[in-house]
Amino acid sequence: MLETIALLTIISPFIGAILTVLVPKEAAKWVCQLFAGIASFGAIALAVTFLSGPEPSVTYSLLSIGQIEIFGLMVDKVSTLITVAVVVLGFLVSIYSLGYMTEGNREHPHTGQPRYYAFLLVFIGAMAGLVLSSTILGQLFFFEVTGACSWSLIGYYQSPKSLKSALKALLVTHVASIGLFIAAAYLFKETGTFAVTAIAGLDDSTKTIVFLGVLFAAWGKSAQLPLHVWLPDAMSAPTPVSAYLHAASMVKVGVYIFARAIMSGGEIPEIVGVIGVVGATITLIYGFVMYLPQKDLKRLLAYSTITQLSYIFLALSLSIFGSQMALDGAITYIFNHAFAKSLFFLVAGALSYSVGTRMLPQLKGIIKTSPLLAVGFCVAALAITGVPPFSGFFSKFPLFAAGFELSATHSWLMPIMILALIESVASFGWILYWFGKSVVGEPSDVVAKAKPIPTSMKFVLVILIIMSLCSSFIAANWLV
Amino acid sequence: MSPTEILLLLMVVPFVAAMISFLALRGGEATRKFAIGCHSLSMVLIMILSLTVAGSVFIDGPIQALDNWLYIDGLSALFLSVLGVVSFLTGMYSIGYIGHEYKHGELSGTKVALYYGLFNLFIATMLLAVSSNNVIMMWVAIEATTICSVFLVGLYGQRSSLEAAWKYIIICSVGLAFGLFGSILTYSNAAAVFADPANAIFWTDIHQNAKALDPTLVHISFIFVLIGFGTKVGLFPMHAWLPDAHSEAPSPVSALLSAGLLNCALLVILRYYIITVKAIGPDFPETLMLVFGFMSVAVSAFFIITQHDIKRKLAYHSVENMGLITLAIALGPIGVIAGLMHVINHSLAKTLMFCGAGNILLKYGTRDITVVKGILKVAPMTGILVAIGALALGGVPPFSMFVSEFLMVTAAISEDMPFFTLALLSLLAIVLGGLAHMVACCVMGDKPDEIEKGELSFMTIAPMVVIVGLIVIMGTFIPNQVLHGIDRAALVLLDSDEPTVINILNLPGIVQPTEMLATKPTLAQK
Repeated sequence: MLETIALLTIISPFIGAILTVLVPKEAAKWVCQLFAGIASFGAIALAVTFLSGPEPSVTYSLLSIGQIEIFGLMVDKVSTLITVAVVVLGFLVSIYSLGYMTEGNREHPHTGQPRYYAFLLVFIGAMAGLVLSSTILGQLFFFEVTGACSWSLIGYYQSPKSLKSALKALLVTHVASIGLFIAAAYLFKETGTFAVTAIAGLDDSTKTIVFLGVLFAAWGKSAQLPLHVWLPDAMSAPTPVSAYLHAASMVKVGVYIFARAIMSGGEIPEIVGVIGVVGATITLIYGFVMYLPQKDLKRLLAYSTITQLSYIFLALSLSIFGSQMALDGAITYIFNHAFAKSLFFLVAGALSYSVGTRMLPQLKGIIKTSPLLAVGFCVAALAITGVPPFSGFFSKFPLFAAGFELSATHSWLMPIMILALIESVASFGWILYWFGKSVVGEPSDVVAKAKPIPTSMKFVLVILIIMSLCSSFIAANWLV
Repeated sequence: MSPTEILLLLMVVPFVAAMISFLALRGGEATRKFAIGCHSLSMVLIMILSLTVAGSVFIDGPIQALDNWLYIDGLSALFLSVLGVVSFLTGMYSIGYIGHEYKHGELSGTKVALYYGLFNLFIATMLLAVSSNNVIMMWVAIEATTICSVFLVGLYGQRSSLEAAWKYIIICSVGLAFGLFGSILTYSNAAAVFADPANAIFWTDIHQNAKALDPTLVHISFIFVLIGFGTKVGLFPMHAWLPDAHSEAPSPVSALLSAGLLNCALLVILRYYIITVKAIGPDFPETLMLVFGFMSVAVSAFFIITQHDIKRKLAYHSVENMGLITLAIALGPIGVIAGLMHVINHSLAKTLMFCGAGNILLKYGTRDITVVKGILKVAPMTGILVAIGALALGGVPPFSMFVSEFLMVTAAISEDMPFFTLALLSLLAIVLGGLAHMVACCVMGDKPDEIEKGELSFMTIAPMVVIVGLIVIMGTFIPNQVLHGIDRAALVLLDSDEPTVINILNLPGIVQPTEMLATKPTLAQK
């Protein structure tokens, strides 16, 4: 039963993508909605069925040669939770695209082509496949599929600049995948299988190699230094794509595979944790510094994504030192950040749609012309920076709690945690600064002339505002 | 019919079709149509017959014909089936491509008949090269492929194509002279030690008695064979003919050169490789294969990104992939599986891309990526297929080259070569970059004003659609028959008597290979 639902969730978007290209142009977007809807239904049904079942985790082997497991599904608490996030957000983004990808858009007057919806669907399917995959080879497979999809989606507008950014994203993430190639090959060499659970049985030196390989791949997809270069440029993608790829799904591939490896890894050499913490801290500081010169809302959000992902890496690396709280915090963080950051991106998209620009200095007094966008902006900002009662707080808090607890045994963690705390407060201040400048006050000329946004976009924004409040409660109840 | 008879029939079919086309040279429209009909029939028959022969060899073991002159074992059966499928696909595509050229007056009626005649003759010589058991005849057949294809390369009769054809025949003939020397050395080496020197010319006999051969001569002859036939395979630094010939030939011929001919020459090298490994152990031949393979990959990766001509890019890509296959063979049992799988995958994907490049050439009249823009808007189907083909060649899943490239990485790691693996993967990333850049330049962008919108014809698109289907299947759920075939071929290449390659892999975690055998007899079983 679970197996069938999981397969349905993975395969239906792919079927939908093929149909999207084949049906007449006008029908393409509706086919996309239908299949994204089916996949979301599958993802939620999978979660509910799994939760009502007795087992803590189920693994299905789908493809194996001899005793070598090639591809399989792993259904447990974490994978069902993240599947819901990536698939349902995909559905929401495709609904949002109905309004956004039209001639009425002020910044990009352009009707969505079938290939836009087709690649969106492929992306949803690939994300579901990656999250549910039980083998490193499966992860690698979908890792590369998402890379190719992101290439075509980032370059969607076909301007020379966007094509260049797309190529950059493809190449950087492909170089990162080398880590996963190496990890999979070493795992296979030592254990004769690709199953992620086999990592636990490795000896220390091979385990370190496998983990560093996974970590390298994760850095690439999750845009950590020095492989972050693709993400800010990728902002030339259509905004719904940015919301989905660069907030909810593609950038989460990295942290997810790392988390998956940690959960299956048994005793993990501490050196991996040290490297993870150091990498996360460096990226954290770099990301914050890069906030300051940004004038484009989307680029600001891109750097914010980079730092938020560093927090997740920090939490995951802390869990290597033996903190379950940090691991749960990291998973919750993935879930919460997906909704909050998507909301932020979609608000930015709605601003481009109605105002025609997303340059922060030109945006003033949004609250007067569009209260919904102002509320969305506010909720997203508070959720991202971790102000209670919004979701971000409940994922940042366990991270800091775990970090300070661990600093009792690992004293060098103390300054790092303090640094992270300072960053957290400072980024709150910086986003509040832009919030004050652009949301409240008298509308500027462009904002005053804003046009109303379509219902489909409003609908998605409202849902995401609600989710930014509740997502942490869902995650917390899920993971107990 | 027995498999042996089918094999003989397979040899005769393209030859007859070629003769009919040559007879139609002086005839009118009707005879030419008849020749094209014969060509289509011949292509269909070649595919069916070659797959039948290969299938029966995979199940029942090797077959011989004509007093041991022809011999098909698992390894050559795999190459034979790939050749059959590729011939069929390019043969069908030819009908669309050459038909278009004839309609637009680029080729005269005589040239069309000549084309189909040479095309079939070319396939006939390749079939002979694959199935030959006589080491001298292997050389003769490979030399014959050069002679047939050189006229195809120069078919358009333009200055550049004639130059390419000339370069092709000179370099390959010189190269193959080395190959002849290696062949004769092997033969004389065997003749000196065999009780019956008459048998010393057969590969099967040399292979059986390889241990008796003089090791020094085996060393020398392998070097000569690798350089000689390596010229034809397009290994660096003997590859110089390949980019010119592949880019100047009519596109279906480029596809056949890349996906058919290079494999045939590679098979000859593999034949000698098996003998050499058995005679003097694996160290020496493996090192040579690794070095030549890696150099080819390394050099061509950089050529791929610098070329502006689509077909030259693809030609360098063939050099790269032949290098990959060559080095994979030297990487132990997993590498052998990877290499053989890559033979299939590369042939399919490369055929797809050369067909796509052919469509672009017909549509735009140029192969320059700085001129070709907006294919997606001009001919959407071609655009999509070319984009898919480029990604597939770059090793992006769900297409099949990902699988074999991944296996190569696994093989290299299993052989404890982490830095080699890293270097290889970095080179592959460069190649992917070159191909993705090509798509970004050509497929995307705005449509030039002077180019008419619309696809060319059904026959130029249909073969490509079929190939996309095949590479997706090969990249996701590889059919059991194919896995079984690769298993058989790998056993021949590894010179092993085990029932399946899995037993040689030495995998940890699999405790009792024999126990597994009882339930899962082959690699193919899932």
